[in-house]
Amino acid sequence: MVKLLINGRPVEAQEGSTVLKAAQEAGIAIPHFCYHEAFPPEGSCRVCQVEIEGLPKLDLACSTIVREGLKVSTNGDRVIQARRSVLEFLLTEHPLDCPICDKAGECKLQDYCLEAGLTVNAFAESREKREKKIALGAKLLLDRERCILCSRCVRFLRQVTGTRELGLFERGVGTQIDLYEGEPVANNYSGNLVDVCPVGAITDTDFRFKTRPWFLEARPAICPLCSRGCSMWADYHPGFPRVAGTAGIYRFRPRLNPEVNGHWICDAGRYGAMALERDRLTELRWIKGPSPAELSWEKTIGRLAAELRGLKTSGAIDHAAVVLSSRLTSEELFLAKMIFHEELGAGRLVFADPPDGLADGLLLRADRTPNRLAAARLGLPFQSDPLAALESASFLWIFGADREALEPFRRLSAALASIPTKVLSAPQMTGLESAMNFLLPTASVFEKGGSFANADGWDQVFSAVHPPCGNARPEESILVDLGRALGFDPAFYAALDGPGAVARALRAAHPQFGGGR
Amino acid sequence: MSVDKRLLPADGETAELRRLAVYEGRGGYAVARRVLASLTPAQVLDEVKAAGLRGRGGAGFPAGLKWSFVPKGDEKPKYLCVNADEGEPGTFKDKYILGHNPHLLLEGIILACYAVGIHVAYIYIRGEYEMIARRLEEAIAEAAAAGYLGPNVFGAGFALNAFVHRGAGAYICGEETALLESLEGKRGWPRLKPPFPAVVGLFQSPTVINNVETLANLPGLIRDGAAAFIALGTPKDGGTRLFSVSGSVARPGLYELPVGTKLREIVFTHAGGMPPGRTLRAVIPGGMSSPILRADEIDVAMDFDSLAAAGSMLGSAGVIVIDAEASMLTILKKIAAFYAHESCGQCTPCRLGTSWMAKTVERLASGEGRPGDLDGLVRVASNIKGRTLCPLGDAAALPVQAVVAKFRAELEAEIERAAEGRE
Amino acid sequence: MSAGLSDALKIRSAALAAHYPRKQAALLPVLHAVQAELGCITPEAERDVAALLGIKPIQVREAVTFYTMFRRRPIGRYHLQVCDNLSCGLRGTGAVLEHLRRRLGIEPGQTTADGRFTLTTVECLGACENAPCLMVDFEYHGNVDPDTVDKLLDGLV
Repeated sequence: MVKLLINGRPVEAQEGSTVLKAAQEAGIAIPHFCYHEAFPPEGSCRVCQVEIEGLPKLDLACSTIVREGLKVSTNGDRVIQARRSVLEFLLTEHPLDCPICDKAGECKLQDYCLEAGLTVNAFAESREKREKKIALGAKLLLDRERCILCSRCVRFLRQVTGTRELGLFERGVGTQIDLYEGEPVANNYSGNLVDVCPVGAITDTDFRFKTRPWFLEARPAICPLCSRGCSMWADYHPGFPRVAGTAGIYRFRPRLNPEVNGHWICDAGRYGAMALERDRLTELRWIKGPSPAELSWEKTIGRLAAELRGLKTSGAIDHAAVVLSSRLTSEELFLAKMIFHEELGAGRLVFADPPDGLADGLLLRADRTPNRLAAARLGLPFQSDPLAALESASFLWIFGADREALEPFRRLSAALASIPTKVLSAPQMTGLESAMNFLLPTASVFEKGGSFANADGWDQVFSAVHPPCGNARPEESILVDLGRALGFDPAFYAALDGPGAVARALRAAHPQFGGGR
Repeated sequence: MSVDKRLLPADGETAELRRLAVYEGRGGYAVARRVLASLTPAQVLDEVKAAGLRGRGGAGFPAGLKWSFVPKGDEKPKYLCVNADEGEPGTFKDKYILGHNPHLLLEGIILACYAVGIHVAYIYIRGEYEMIARRLEEAIAEAAAAGYLGPNVFGAGFALNAFVHRGAGAYICGEETALLESLEGKRGWPRLKPPFPAVVGLFQSPTVINNVETLANLPGLIRDGAAAFIALGTPKDGGTRLFSVSGSVARPGLYELPVGTKLREIVFTHAGGMPPGRTLRAVIPGGMSSPILRADEIDVAMDFDSLAAAGSMLGSAGVIVIDAEASMLTILKKIAAFYAHESCGQCTPCRLGTSWMAKTVERLASGEGRPGDLDGLVRVASNIKGRTLCPLGDAAALPVQAVVAKFRAELEAEIERAAEGRE
Repeated sequence: MSAGLSDALKIRSAALAAHYPRKQAALLPVLHAVQAELGCITPEAERDVAALLGIKPIQVREAVTFYTMFRRRPIGRYHLQVCDNLSCGLRGTGAVLEHLRRRLGIEPGQTTADGRFTLTTVECLGACENAPCLMVDFEYHGNVDPDTVDKLLDGLV
């Protein structure tokens, strides 16, 4: 460890770390644009200049390595003046777009200018004319007037994806970012460009003009769309009381996780995750039964428990089919195994999962499910033929957490028709609704808590980003109630009271579920 | 036949010295041959250090010291880059060495590479010097054919290959790390230092970058020894310099004179003084990037320390003479426009500051000046100075500040006249 | 006429690339050779050069647009480059430029209608001892004035 002084305060830093990092870890933020933790220092924005005692010129915090006894000032007069002057230079060409710019509220330039008290622009010359709305790809727009040429986007495409769709052209004040011959940014990481851009030069068309960052709360989430389980931020708007339809998740962003996804998430996850909250199943439905007004979860679970007990007594449970999903949480899979395998002895326990896709060599894995490892740890079968399980089944319960996986089922109307009782518990419309007897609306992955075991063995614990919509409930709570209603092991289910109870029971029974991060 | 001590051929020999046979006939390559046969690399390095030879490109960094930063015993290949970019306005000296005495440069390259343990040299020559580049290539071919370049230089078991590499019109590529980027086939954007090129340079390998004139001094320096080299100039700054003299002067041209010669002597004795009917107003002593001197400031000695003490710099020793009839506003405009045009665009203060200065001066020259504009200009320059990734920022800021500081009255008068002209 | 590299040019480019441990380093010398043959750097040439040097076309264009000597569009038969810098300015480059504008009827950056002359202003050419300097293609012509410029242009076929 190296001891140094920052603004008179003693700070201890790792050997080899930069002044910027040392300050950051000591809670002192040094403004910067071009520096990004994922890349080697660039040194071009010149905003992070600090004063180091004994050196005649100001030095860059992003690239100066800490030394024993270093005395750094990040807020002395010289530093403040230098920082202000760099911001002033940027404002000579950067337009006052804040009122119409998506980045307002989370814009570094805005933040630093406010801190520096820069309100008057001394630039009396004419600005360069630059284009404001260049389509870079399916979801990206470039505004060249706003670009401060920090080159993070270019470096991202050089060093992370290696695809180099963006380049730096021309020279001097005419330097600009551009595509080559209009060939768009078309890789699976393009969304990260919006995050690395410190200003509103690169924006996302999905998010464009939809809301303001100050209405959003960043809540942690895990992506369920492959077995990497990238950490994300779900930016959630709690809604305006008198304006319908405003509450919800407006976007996903990467959340730093050095062991899993580093600084990035892929587009399949970023944009695919948004799709998980559309076309929701929100209300309970029985095809033959009480009117919707008289339906309740209690009645529904009671009804299903009675039928399952009957099947067990008659032996027809041997032909009961339960279709599980590797998108269920470890806790849910644990309960499903307890109830359907150990307590009921259902004869046809299968998994319907989406087919493997192509791994992209970076984050996206071929396995498009988040929790297959949990199923393996629990000893649940996952290599079976879910369609064969339907043949003359006595009962069917589909856990449709992943509607893509249910695609093949839509062609089986004949086989489905012959099954007496068919239950579908799913968060989204699957196209099977009309063929089912019971529809149980479940929470989306972002409306419940639990854990996923990713392919590398990390148990990632997550909480709900927001409460379930409509009458939906997490599968975990449905299964706890079902277990109670079935009555095979009252003591076990009585103990499953309160948050985290199922997780604790899971770990007690299966210690390989490590408890997560 | 004794070898002429000059870097450039004496009158009458200009056309022929670039031929190997003529160069050798006058004693050329004898020094390099002897060194490779009987001196160690360390001995060469020590002699150059003792002589205190300072770089003649502009920065004036001591060559021997720069060489000694190259790590010894490293497995990586090392490179010499010869900086023949010569972009500093008012400078045309390297052109003459390259075109008229290329073998002197090649001999200097052999000595430098031998001293540091380098086997590949690239001569980065500005793109506009196309014809000179071809002459250089001819000289290299002659030297290679004679065995003075190639796998076994002078039969001494030392390998060295030299290649000409043409630039393509970018002043910034005279800055050593931008030169490296350009040589690697990229845009000429300077690199962050540290690491320094001596450790991480061309192709990530240890690299020495030296100016043409610096290297051309080596054969004479080694031949006559450090003490003799120093004696040619001043005790702290030895040798001769090739002074490029241009502008409003009777005999513009290249003058090889001892370091420390007075500027007044260069302008009035050697270059013939003012043309008929003209009086002196100012002199820029070291290329456009050096702060301007008034007519009463030219009794300064032309060496690094004296000029620094006078608030200017020796730089590339490009002497530009300005007469009293010249428009200072036009000069200021040309200075600001040059740096705005040549700014590589990488770092904020230079990219936006040089453009700001150029636009302001343009507006002043077109008659739309407002009170406080000159102060604003100086303020922008002071915000560029010392804050940029490479020295181009200072090169842009210091001359602007100096012209405004020393010729404010002239500028204000011109600005007012321009404004009146518009009405 | 193909806008890409001829076989001869490809061979020459490969020979240039052999001077360096990394092929990309040959980019500027190769682009000079390409421009000498094709007159400018076309998109097809960019792709050919990129393939030869193991880089992407975008990297070629990044360099082409950075360096003033490379152009993406063809110019006139003769490129008249007038130095507009300090020393030439002090010795009458303004009058030379003005004369060329009037005689040719074009502004710097433009080409005459008959395609013979393209006029540009350039930064210091390193020929200040013979200021004002006019570079025609790669030939330096020093100490020019409106008269010598006229004779020079008359002599250009």
